[in-house]
Amino acid sequence: MNIFDFFTQPANWVGSEGIPGAIGLHLMYSGISLLIALAIAVPLGVYVGYTGRGEAVVAGLANALRALPTLGLLILVVMILAPVFGSSLAFVLPTIVVLVLLAVPPILTGTYSGIQAADPDAVGAARGMGYTKAQILWHIQLPCALPLLLSGIRGATLQIVSTATVAAYVGLGGLGRFIIDGRAQGDYSKMAAGAILVALLALVLELAFIAIGRLVISPGLQRTTRRSRKTPAPPQPQPPAPAQVLASSAT
Amino acid sequence: MINFDNVSKVYPDGTVAVDGLTLQAPTGKLTILIGPSGCGKTTSMRMINRLIEPSSGVISLDGTDTQSLNRVDLRRRIGYVIQNAGLFPHRTIVDNVAAMPRLLGTPKREARANAMELLERVGLNEKFANRYPWQLSGGQQQRVGVARALATDPPFLLMDEPFSAVDPIVRAQLQEEFLRLQREIGKTIVMVTHDIDEALKLGDQVAVLREGGHLAQVASPAHLLAHPADAFVADFVGTARGYRALGFVTADGTLGVDREPTVRVGDDAATATVGADGWALAVDESNIPQGWVQLGRLNGAQITESDINISGTVAKEFGNLRDMLNSALSSPSGRGVVVDERGVLVGTVSAEAIVAAIRTAKQEVLAS
Repeated sequence: MNIFDFFTQPANWVGSEGIPGAIGLHLMYSGISLLIALAIAVPLGVYVGYTGRGEAVVAGLANALRALPTLGLLILVVMILAPVFGSSLAFVLPTIVVLVLLAVPPILTGTYSGIQAADPDAVGAARGMGYTKAQILWHIQLPCALPLLLSGIRGATLQIVSTATVAAYVGLGGLGRFIIDGRAQGDYSKMAAGAILVALLALVLELAFIAIGRLVISPGLQRTTRRSRKTPAPPQPQPPAPAQVLASSAT
Repeated sequence: MINFDNVSKVYPDGTVAVDGLTLQAPTGKLTILIGPSGCGKTTSMRMINRLIEPSSGVISLDGTDTQSLNRVDLRRRIGYVIQNAGLFPHRTIVDNVAAMPRLLGTPKREARANAMELLERVGLNEKFANRYPWQLSGGQQQRVGVARALATDPPFLLMDEPFSAVDPIVRAQLQEEFLRLQREIGKTIVMVTHDIDEALKLGDQVAVLREGGHLAQVASPAHLLAHPADAFVADFVGTARGYRALGFVTADGTLGVDREPTVRVGDDAATATVGADGWALAVDESNIPQGWVQLGRLNGAQITESDINISGTVAKEFGNLRDMLNSALSSPSGRGVVVDERGVLVGTVSAEAIVAAIRTAKQEVLAS
């Protein structure tokens, strides 16, 4: 069976084991993880960016989190939680914990660096004009932080979506199912199909983020040529290519 | 009136930024704070709206101690203009100007309508309204900065080196326009600058500060030039102060303006009326001076555009003696061109006549 056959077989398009079901589960794990990561990282990033307090700690922590081996961490959390929860929650929860830990650093970094990069002249003018601190944050700093904030969320999303394949490693569904099962069954077209689907999903989400950016970021901030006195944008976290994650989770 | 009463600013490390400053910025007048870097001029200004808190002394606005007001309420009574304009990059020009009124609850439509009027007042037409700050030049951004500071019609205005980030030509233009605007709106303004020419040109009174935050002298520009309090102030207003002071002496009826024969482009050189020195003043159809031509040295038989020497400046009929003298000194014929309010030729004036007028003016000042 070749890859083309995998996609044309009607049986692969039905049920929770089918392609739509797997995409749905994959998106669900990703979505929940992203929401939790946002709820943690955005307020924390706003606090750090706004007060300038704890920047070194947070930056160090974010980098340390990035270095964590995803798969190892997953197994560790499963081993800790399995005795506590009897149900499938023992596997869902660790998966989400791991994905959240993966998504927090880029969002956190994007948020606080975005707020810090807001034009100091604009912030100074607002302060002198009589904006309260909350008004400066809400009306000036946050809108100006949106480009970096959004690029942090985008990086986090791509990372989550490509890494969510590990859910299958602990017996859960999602697109990783095809890869793990394909390997177990020696069905390499199935593995390749899973990888292609993850890549396509990442591509679609990337396009969605470009569209969202156009909608929510002010055209005043979307110029291509920035004034040189602006602080350069911090390096964007590069999500691992889906193929890398697959390789690591398949071994 | 903005009143400083023995105001000092001492930082925790012992640095004295401002030392016992007592100064009045009169209502409706423009007060300039000037001095070398480290003299505390910016600190002094920023203590007015409490961006910096004074260590001791009292600053009051029309008799109200600024410490008795909430910081945000205080700042909302004072317009604020900074060096690089500090426009909000994510808002359009009209929304930048309307920002503060909107924040205070003015309906969007009304705030925008007012903002459009203000933009027009600072010389920006409606095509700029929906652009974003980065699409404007530095000078245009600064106009928007001024309009934004006036949006809530505050009685006071603080300006922190507002025109120093633009090129000299744009700066001169912005200064002229701002002077005109201030004559209409009559705000009580405190402006910080490091440019003595700007201070002398714009200020109703100029406060010169010296290092360590001491007030060296506060006086009108003309008084500052004529009677510097000490060597520091004399040094600061510059060695060209004699010439600069002429800018505050107005030409009156005593200055004799001579009739000047004129030529036009296309005139035959042979029939043209010419002065004894061979120089003739070229004018256009409306009798507006174009420059000087030397009739003995034309390129052809007729006067063409390329024959005109444009090195000379023109002075206004009732302008100051500095412009008059400059016109005479810069003219290739040695005769300064004098025009009326519309730019139409009145006549010419010689450097000798101007020097005589200067002497008369000096004697009047000494006699009074």
